[in-house]
Amino acid sequence: MHYGGKKKNKMEYILDGLKQGLALLFPPNREILQIVILSLAVSGGATVLAATTAIPSALFLALKEFRGKRFLVGVVNTTLSVPAVLIGLLVYGLVSRRGPLGTLGLLFTPGAMILAQALLAFPIITALVLAALKGIARDSRDLALSLGANRLQLALAVIHQGRFAFLTALIAGFSRVIGETGMTLMIGGNIKGHTRVLTTAISLETMKGNFEIGIALGIVLLLAALTINIVLQWAQGK
Amino acid sequence: MMNIRVEKLKQTAGGRLILDDISLDFAAGAVNVILGPNGAGKTTLLRLLGQFDAPRSGEIYYDGGASSRLPRSGRTALRRRIGFVFQTPLLLAGTVEANLLYGPRLRGRSVSGAEIGQTLELTGLKGRELQDARQLSGGEKQRLQLARVMLLNPDLYLLDEPTANLDPISVKNIETMILRLAGSGKTVILATHNLIQARLLAGRAVFLKAGRLVQAGSAAEVLSRPLSLDIAEFSAAENIISGTLARRKERTVLVCGELVIEVVSERSQGAAAAVIRPEDILVSKKPISSSARNSFRGAIVAVTDLGLVTSLSVDCGGILFTVFITRISCAQMNLAPGIDVSLTFKATSVHLLPLG
Repeated sequence: MHYGGKKKNKMEYILDGLKQGLALLFPPNREILQIVILSLAVSGGATVLAATTAIPSALFLALKEFRGKRFLVGVVNTTLSVPAVLIGLLVYGLVSRRGPLGTLGLLFTPGAMILAQALLAFPIITALVLAALKGIARDSRDLALSLGANRLQLALAVIHQGRFAFLTALIAGFSRVIGETGMTLMIGGNIKGHTRVLTTAISLETMKGNFEIGIALGIVLLLAALTINIVLQWAQGK
Repeated sequence: MMNIRVEKLKQTAGGRLILDDISLDFAAGAVNVILGPNGAGKTTLLRLLGQFDAPRSGEIYYDGGASSRLPRSGRTALRRRIGFVFQTPLLLAGTVEANLLYGPRLRGRSVSGAEIGQTLELTGLKGRELQDARQLSGGEKQRLQLARVMLLNPDLYLLDEPTANLDPISVKNIETMILRLAGSGKTVILATHNLIQARLLAGRAVFLKAGRLVQAGSAAEVLSRPLSLDIAEFSAAENIISGTLARRKERTVLVCGELVIEVVSERSQGAAAAVIRPEDILVSKKPISSSARNSFRGAIVAVTDLGLVTSLSVDCGGILFTVFITRISCAQMNLAPGIDVSLTFKATSVHLLPLG
């Protein structure tokens, strides 16, 4: 390590790290590739799992009138501010050997990480879809009903109107969970080649002093976020 | 044509009672007008009739059939016999044509170019097929909503203030279309707070206030012989005078300060309001002898040219009367502010409403 050399500019420490980081990516190092793939799989899986429950829940909350609806919406909005580490604690309790799901042996597996991240993404996706549907659900429902839609056609009409809201919510959920560190570390354990993902690897490698590996992984994380947002903008422009 | 009857309809929203125990019949194959101030429950009632929402309690009968007992498929079939026009136009993002074709598509039905052409012609939207529906003017949007519904040929039209915020020409166009629909045997129910429109269109009028049914009957009856002061005030009845009923010389009178107005009433005591329609009051420069029981002298305060008629404000003993005369008689009599005139009207022209 040669940071802080008298003749060297302190910025060079960062620039060197950047250079070495890029070298690890082009061509990609096998270990880094594995980390990237696991990250996308875990966070993608968690987002899909959360979305399959969150979107129907949001549609239900937006379209149905029932007693206690306001309370339920309040609960969803409150869970938005539950710290990730508490969700980690909850999932740890569930899947650790002495917990209710202990026999499944899920602790320190990608499966447990997906479960925890899905729990983190669920309120985000529900709240965002609900907020977006609030403005459009009633109108698109009324319009479809007034022209004779049956129940299926009605649901499809609302989903069609809300398609960008769903996409935005999915991406917000995905961005949140792929950037999550503490909880993922608790549940996954950052086991090399098994549960090591981008964020846990960045924090570990940087703490070990492998700044360049941290930078390489950081670039991947940034690129992932950038790509997702470009895709989103493109889809909304269409 | 569709027969509609509602029985003991109740609706709540957020714990608040919006419609309270509404029972009434609508006239089939005619225009029915739902009148009432904002917040009376007009839109809520229309939404229930249109099967958008379920009532808290009560029943709606369509051609005698109770709607709450319908299976899901029956409800969709019923909704397909109803056309709804929203107060704020709800249009699909897309062309005028895309909006017209949405209904038939939901029904899995194809429509011919001729049918579309005819509907566009009727609603004055010919040549606009490919225009972006959201770029249309307010009146055009409203006509497109009507066109979209007409293309589906429903038996019942529900129109929620279809001419609110439109220019006079668009209003005229839509009123003409509504009259044509009723003329062709469709049942039309529309909410409005435009009295002139109600008189022009309605066979039957229903007056709601704060979720309660105040009066239902022929439009002429509800507007000319209102059962409550609310309707009289809402229908902008010009002369509403409150006083106390009394017996004087074998006759029943309403004492309003200096004025003693002779009325026809079964009651002869208590507070009451008199509604006298401006067109029932005769104006003359000199007192005239007639069988009419009421004649008062007063000075003209204001003369307002309303176009077809001229409105005079006359101060009789501290009470301001509004009367209508033709423009020609106004000119012939040289009427101007400051001139004294006589106002004469029959006791039977005084419509009494109980107060308090």
